[in-house]
Amino acid sequence: MPASARTCPLRPIAFFVRATTLLAAMTMAPSLSHGNETLQRVLREHCAGCHNEDVREAGVRLDTIDPAFGDGSLKLWEAIQKQVASKSMPPEEEPPLAEADREAFLKEVASSLHHARTRELEFHGSVRRLTVAQYRNALRELLGIDEDLTKILPPDAVSKDGFTNNAQTLSMSPLLIESYFQIAEQAVDAALVREDSIPSIHNFRMELGQGINREPCPDTLILGANNLLLRSEDFVVTEPELTKPFTFTPFFMQRKFRFIEGYQGNDTVRGWRDFDSIYHAVFACMRGSEGYPKGLAYETVPEGLLLRPAIPSSEIFGESNTYGPHANFKISLRELPDRGQFRIRVRAAKYEDGLLIGPNIVNDTDLGEPDYKLPLQGNDSHVVMIREPGIYRIDTRSNVPDGAKDLRLRLGKRFFSGKAETGPFLAVRLPAGPLEVQAVSTPVDAIERLSWTKIDEGSPLGKEFLAFESRCPEIGVHVGLRRDCGSTMNPVGTPKRVSSTDLQEFVFEDAISNYPSPDVEPNNVNYLAGIREIGIRSEYTDARDMPRLLIERVEFEGPYLEAWPPPSHRRIMDSANDRSQPDAYASDVLLRFAERAYRRPITTEEQAELLEFWRQSLNEVGDLQESIRRGLIFVLTSPQFLFLSEASHTAQAESLTSWELASKLSFFLWNSPPDEELRSLAAQGRLLEDLDSQVDRLIDDPRFERFAETFVSEWLSLDKLQIVETDAKRFPRLTRDVKAALRWEPIRFFEYAIRNNLPLHSIIRSEVLVVNDVVADYYGFGDSVETGFAFVAIPSPDPRLGGLLSRAAVMAGLSDGRESNPVKRGAWFARRMIAKPPEDPPPNVPKLEDLTELSLRERLERHRNVKGCVQCHTGIDPWGLPFEAFDAGGLRKNEPADDATQLPDGTTLANFADFQEHLSTTMMPDVAASLMHHLTAYAIGRSLTYNEAYRLRESLSTIDPSEFKLRDVVHRIVQSDLFLKK
Amino acid sequence: MVHRLDRRAVLQGIAGTALALPFLEAMGADVPSASPRRFCALYTANGMSLPKPEHGIDEWSWFPRLEKDGQFEFGKSTEPLAPFRDQLSFFGGLQHDNGLKADPHVCSDMWLTGAPLHNPKPGSYNSVSLDQIVAQHTKQYCRQPSLVLSIDAGVGFLSRTGTISYDSQGRPVPAESHPRRVFDRLFRVDQSSQKEQRSQLQSRIKLVDAVVDNANRFQRTLGASDRDKMDQYLTSLNEIESRLIASEKWIDIPIKSQDYASLDLDASPEGEPSEYYRNMFDLIALAFDADITRTVAFMLNREDGMGISDTFPLKLGLTQTHHNLSHAGDKQGQLEFAKYDLFLSQQLAGFFAKLQSLQDPQGSILENTIVLYGSGASTTHWPRNLPTLVVGGGRLGLRHGHYWREEDGKMANLYLSILQTLGIDSSSFADSTGTLATPIFTKA
Repeated sequence: MPASARTCPLRPIAFFVRATTLLAAMTMAPSLSHGNETLQRVLREHCAGCHNEDVREAGVRLDTIDPAFGDGSLKLWEAIQKQVASKSMPPEEEPPLAEADREAFLKEVASSLHHARTRELEFHGSVRRLTVAQYRNALRELLGIDEDLTKILPPDAVSKDGFTNNAQTLSMSPLLIESYFQIAEQAVDAALVREDSIPSIHNFRMELGQGINREPCPDTLILGANNLLLRSEDFVVTEPELTKPFTFTPFFMQRKFRFIEGYQGNDTVRGWRDFDSIYHAVFACMRGSEGYPKGLAYETVPEGLLLRPAIPSSEIFGESNTYGPHANFKISLRELPDRGQFRIRVRAAKYEDGLLIGPNIVNDTDLGEPDYKLPLQGNDSHVVMIREPGIYRIDTRSNVPDGAKDLRLRLGKRFFSGKAETGPFLAVRLPAGPLEVQAVSTPVDAIERLSWTKIDEGSPLGKEFLAFESRCPEIGVHVGLRRDCGSTMNPVGTPKRVSSTDLQEFVFEDAISNYPSPDVEPNNVNYLAGIREIGIRSEYTDARDMPRLLIERVEFEGPYLEAWPPPSHRRIMDSANDRSQPDAYASDVLLRFAERAYRRPITTEEQAELLEFWRQSLNEVGDLQESIRRGLIFVLTSPQFLFLSEASHTAQAESLTSWELASKLSFFLWNSPPDEELRSLAAQGRLLEDLDSQVDRLIDDPRFERFAETFVSEWLSLDKLQIVETDAKRFPRLTRDVKAALRWEPIRFFEYAIRNNLPLHSIIRSEVLVVNDVVADYYGFGDSVETGFAFVAIPSPDPRLGGLLSRAAVMAGLSDGRESNPVKRGAWFARRMIAKPPEDPPPNVPKLEDLTELSLRERLERHRNVKGCVQCHTGIDPWGLPFEAFDAGGLRKNEPADDATQLPDGTTLANFADFQEHLSTTMMPDVAASLMHHLTAYAIGRSLTYNEAYRLRESLSTIDPSEFKLRDVVHRIVQSDLFLKK
Repeated sequence: MVHRLDRRAVLQGIAGTALALPFLEAMGADVPSASPRRFCALYTANGMSLPKPEHGIDEWSWFPRLEKDGQFEFGKSTEPLAPFRDQLSFFGGLQHDNGLKADPHVCSDMWLTGAPLHNPKPGSYNSVSLDQIVAQHTKQYCRQPSLVLSIDAGVGFLSRTGTISYDSQGRPVPAESHPRRVFDRLFRVDQSSQKEQRSQLQSRIKLVDAVVDNANRFQRTLGASDRDKMDQYLTSLNEIESRLIASEKWIDIPIKSQDYASLDLDASPEGEPSEYYRNMFDLIALAFDADITRTVAFMLNREDGMGISDTFPLKLGLTQTHHNLSHAGDKQGQLEFAKYDLFLSQQLAGFFAKLQSLQDPQGSILENTIVLYGSGASTTHWPRNLPTLVVGGGRLGLRHGHYWREEDGKMANLYLSILQTLGIDSSSFADSTGTLATPIFTKA
């Protein structure tokens, strides 16, 4: 039995109050009038002497407290009530407060507080600008472009609840407006083309394979430090002819160059040299490829290039070094188009690979006599007859005593390279029949014999092999710039799973402007200047052995166009009206665009204004398309597009218009504007009646991921994980890539929990984990999932692990990168998980004496006892101590942790598990209230007033947590007056 | 359209300093205005000569000999700067912590940014440089946001960029290298480009104007809604409009008349090094004097033997190129390297004298300008103890005449001190932890 249940029996809970009715009740409030004469007198005579402008005991000033109990003063009033009721105030040394006065005072405070909490809420509509993310999504959807033009915008400020979509913190500045103008122009120019122009298309193909180039480039070059060029015999670059259903000009890359420096790497040999070959325009190279931990990082075989997973360098060296990941294949090239969409197609397959046997592989012992033995001589090939298909272990015998030797083994058409000595080398599946075998070792003949033994699928090695064989490499494409230090590589979309051993085409597409451009002047005289890179990798998840990725060919095309003019242009410029009637044409084009941009029908006044501006522009520039372009920029910089507004005409609650509702809903659940279906329901005035089914549709839509990412990362402050500088020596596994995956874990969990309507207590404790290979491996149960980068729900192997509380992303983020930090974690917990934020530190907090010789717990205790610190820290530390079970890497500590605590209400809990238990039972109403509080604030885009927050908490104090499920919570919020009224 | 004129009239009132300057000058008013605050960053590659003790030529070390209480004695290679003792301070021990992790050849790329080049934000190259932060805050007062100069034009190639200036997104800002091109850009007023500039501005003003009208009308439809944020939007929009109008005014204001007689616009990096540097420095001084820009970055030479400046020591009669000299460990080589430092000090002294001779409304230009001179390595490829000299800015609150050291101190903190001294309200720069704890900066 947990300690909590012994010391603090469960509070009685009412069973049938539903949140919807309570939220609705929050807006109904009686208005009371009452006198508060005693109150005023007592304050004046007994309090203001020490709490005034000059003295301000404990940082509190009461001479100016709001006697009308306005929203801003209520917290202070509550504190006064507590101090006076407990007789802590006035203090002993001051004149005593008569008992009758105390009673009358407390009565008046209680009645005023009640009045304040229940008074009718005022509604004043809302005007808030789009967040940077919302603005980006809106632009993309409106214009049908992939360009992310919003990188120049400063990040949005964060509200005290942690959210960026808060009306109060979303400020405007000249810098922002200047950027809006700039972005509007760029966005329109990305979407539109000149219809009479002929596009120029750049395309090339690189084929890979051992010895496939019969006319290789004879020049020997160095492409900078640690760059390994593929053998020129092993790749072919061509510029094949394209066919398109429209007229275009093929773009051919420059082949003749003249350089004075850089062609011998970074050294400073100077002297003009002429070059003339496509192989000086496009190179196939590898980087960071030496010292791969197991097997060769890459290898060309007749069918293509084999790649092992690209291990980020920090996984090996403990700190990010300058040369990028290992097994980093890239196509370096001088020219890429400077605008438009590009498409990279890679023909690739999962290689029918064998498992190199190393120290990480559980091996079978004592296999007995091998089935076949093959003495080796030179590089001759031999034929072995395999009688039975199945998994075989191939052992090698070395005749060189000192250490392992390089061995390249060919079995039929397959190649396996690694270090071999006397002992097991490879586990591989072999078909029955004759098998051609060739072994090349360095030095020659170092390996003198091979032997085969068939192994059982149920044996340890058999199982390892089956798991290995079922794994699928993940192919990723990156685009960046060549540089000596660090990497500018930026991933193109997300990696794709390569599950077939037959070659298939994988397509990666994006806008070229989303990737860094070299910004060098043309005809730079340095060979290395302005080189761009297309990286193709087998992406690394964790150290598990992975079948190699076979790449046969890579094709680039850009700008990638399926039609001319492109759809982004036609969606805006196509009209039933003819261009020979400019007025009718422009009015159709611009008004349709404005309606989509403003997310509602456009008023006659707005129409007149927009068309007037267009007409002026046409007079000025004389060109129809240019004048329309200006009209579009006008729309994109107007407040109707940049702001989400709910116009209110009275202080009373008014219903949202159906258009306002459509926007509010889609920006809440998708972080983007309403789609066609929402718009059409709004137009028909049917959205309110269909609200529940629409909420469900939005939740089930892939765009709901944007809600999960924004809400969860802001609510849980997941950005802290990226900011904290982790001590790489203590936590070598917490690399940048691992952090990125860990950040997604709570997001994917919450998304799963809402979609599957899990009970609310699963945010505290859950039997389900939502993980991918990277995350599971970090927690130490990598073998329980085989989905690559895709997150999947699995039963938690450790019951203490589930829920949002102890996620590594949260725990590691709330540390200093070296030690766990109960103060950070406690403050976070109080703010975000139970919505009881610690009070702000008072002015003149005394400096702490150096207490480094004490234990952390002792230091906290001292700290809590310092006058001036006590007030906040009693509301922080007790919540942080249970998290002492987790280290600064976010994992359970190995040593017995000091994670007991005594909560502010006196409850003592022995450890983190008891804390979880206590939270998911006794304190469930607090957790529920906090979640509702944060979710509501996020949904309506503003902080709750004291009133609203108080009533929310009251309404939930009697709710049955087991009744409370997460998808229902979203429905309830959307159906509440806070959401539906303005 | 009467309402438009009215609003503009009001705008001119609101816009304050953004408009005040061109207006005053246009009227030829000799009202004493506040002197501009300026910044100038000068970079030299490969570090400085710090001879080994066993060679017995310590007096040739670039860092001065520290006596006590910050009092110092100039070394032989910085002696030409002695006349400016009261207007300069040496800094030692400083470093970019990210410099220790990066490839040493990229030290010039991060000198003015402090960025983690070894582990950058995916898809980015660098982060914003100090001179460009200054530009963001001074561009509305002058014709050109900033002036970026280098021994080699353009940006070079990534990892060995030929510029020390990076924009707010970390992209290299291309540099100008030839005096004539710099002069044409700064001082020549080209009629056709002026016309185009004006028509672009006017068209932008019309757009902003229309958006303002539309926003005002929209504002009225919001009824009783909380409209603080809409007000902010409108105020910002008005500010943009007034800036555009101010820019349009600039076109009409003639450039201050100056004496260009000392300039030899045909000087080039291919010619005599001292002539080249003198002309470039004179152009900077003239640009400051005419208030064409308030922030300048000038890369005097490049890392790793790149570019033409590598051959300058040979032209001066020394026996090795700049990069090779910096690698020298023998007495002769280290002495020659120091002699090249001496050459650079002589050029700087000429520049400082020029800045001192030119007067602002209050004080000399040197007194209103913070000049930062240094390298990304103390001696070649060693990213600690960066040689750093801060000159000028006496009227901005700098108290000079010190050699101030902080072992493993942060360059970014020095940069933050510079920003705050220039009146720029920043709380951090790159990985700064605060301003530099030194008595030299009294206003930061």
